[in-house]
Amino acid sequence: MEHIVFGIGITALTGALATVAGSAEDTESNIGSQGDPNSQVQLAPQMGFLHRIFNKAVAGEPPAYGLWCALGAGLAWAFMAMQVNAILAIVLGCILAVFVQGVYATTAYLGRTASLAKFGQPVYVDIIKSMTTVTMAHAFIAIFCTVALCQLINGALGHPFPLPLLALIWGVALGAAGSATGNPYYGKERQYQNQKFGAGVPISASGNIVRYAEAGERNSIDNGFFTHKIGGSASGVCFGLIVFLELWRTILFERIYAGWGAIAVGVLMILIFTVIDRYIEVWARKNYGPYTVAKEADA
Amino acid sequence: MSAVAAKPTAGGAVNPAAMAVGVVMLIIILGLTYTISPGMGVMALIGIVIGGVMIGFGTHFVPVGGAPAAMGQAPGIATGVAMLAAGAGLAGLFGGAWAAELGIVVAVVTGGIGGGLMMAITCMMVNFVYVFGMGIPAASGKVLHDPITGDSQAEYKSQGTEGHGLPFVSFVGGVIGGILAGAGGTLIYIELLGLYEATFPTLMSATPAQVLPVAVSVAGMFAVALFLVNAVLTAYNITGTIEGPHDPKFKRWPRAIVASAVASALCGFVAILIVAI
Repeated sequence: MEHIVFGIGITALTGALATVAGSAEDTESNIGSQGDPNSQVQLAPQMGFLHRIFNKAVAGEPPAYGLWCALGAGLAWAFMAMQVNAILAIVLGCILAVFVQGVYATTAYLGRTASLAKFGQPVYVDIIKSMTTVTMAHAFIAIFCTVALCQLINGALGHPFPLPLLALIWGVALGAAGSATGNPYYGKERQYQNQKFGAGVPISASGNIVRYAEAGERNSIDNGFFTHKIGGSASGVCFGLIVFLELWRTILFERIYAGWGAIAVGVLMILIFTVIDRYIEVWARKNYGPYTVAKEADA
Repeated sequence: MSAVAAKPTAGGAVNPAAMAVGVVMLIIILGLTYTISPGMGVMALIGIVIGGVMIGFGTHFVPVGGAPAAMGQAPGIATGVAMLAAGAGLAGLFGGAWAAELGIVVAVVTGGIGGGLMMAITCMMVNFVYVFGMGIPAASGKVLHDPITGDSQAEYKSQGTEGHGLPFVSFVGGVIGGILAGAGGTLIYIELLGLYEATFPTLMSATPAQVLPVAVSVAGMFAVALFLVNAVLTAYNITGTIEGPHDPKFKRWPRAIVASAVASALCGFVAILIVAI
């Protein structure tokens, strides 16, 4: 019983860490413009729309976070092998990993933006100075939380995988959940804030991203501030739910019927999420209604 | 040309000669494995090939919209095919590896459910953001009616787009893809773990308890690597975006099955070589 209570406490803590990690990951990727919407940031100068948006999408979010989290965890693991206190070791490992992220962000921005020179897009040095550190700060939060939750899974819950491998797995999952949930909000709601609310961006509008703010030109920190409210929070909830429910069903139900208990609970949770998803879909169809009448659409 | 404008040729056009070459390569690799490790090695390789094929086939179910989905221009999840499948499958592998001591059947099913649960949560949150964050209902661009619910789709597509969000069939496809990918990844891990647990003690002149962490780590790394190989290979077969099992591109799966089998066999052969020589 004590073991289960301890496990539930650790599970709750990992869920909380994962929620913060997911939120920070999405905000970092939006400030750095690393997700799929960056295709528009790259396209805009080619369509004649010069901008001051950061641009570091030389790798997708999942492999990038897989690398940074594995790096942070590997270094933390090495520090722990040198008898450094676990918390200090994780902090030091993550700091070093964030430096790699900073180098990646700087070289990616310079490389991607320089490739647009023929379209007249300048490389802004002040953007590197002001944005890179902000993405690094958010990346540190995301990497630290992920490595910390992996250490809890490994050390306290006894998962067989070593810390760096766990961090690689959950880093990729973090990037996948964060980009899947957060990208549409950044791409549609923020970059195309000038388009109609409640409809997708027409393909003909591609590249015409919003470039001006209330005062002066829009920058990427504004984007992070805006997207964090819904996109970042939703990404956090998504990754938090994934980590929490995966651990929760294992800790509580794995001993029932030699593992089949956890499987049955997993199936039940998938069915619950299916019902919620269907409810959301039907709710939208009823409340928002069709864009055109059915007859025209079928024709 | 954007990914949306690049219409798929749809077909599951299969090149019989290439398929035959693939099958011959698979048989050659199996034969080579038989020569160096007739019993355990061949059985492990067969498990790895089955796992790889499950990952490759499962990835076709995952609804991925890529960059156009991020602007609400196309349905699906706004990220890459390989990465989303890898995220789901690795989450499954995490659960499956934990349950490894409970036997291969429980571990593989646990891995599958872990992957399916990750995809169910992710797909639900994608629709949540589309509907409550952006005010956009789900609509498919490839079919007039959802094959599962029968809901009409065309009139829910906003002007100038291919559709948006995740219609119910895409959600179900995502969950099936996560289940297959998670189960396949776990099967590869279990097969390699069994092989390494049996061979490492002799190879390293150590007790089984001493080699267990090394066996777990090496098997885990090979499982992750094989995962990425198969997911990326399938992404090339899909070329960009896919809506799920109702998408015409889904018919291309036979090509990916053969390619995944050959690639998994080759990678698995290398994984077996490190203990067989």
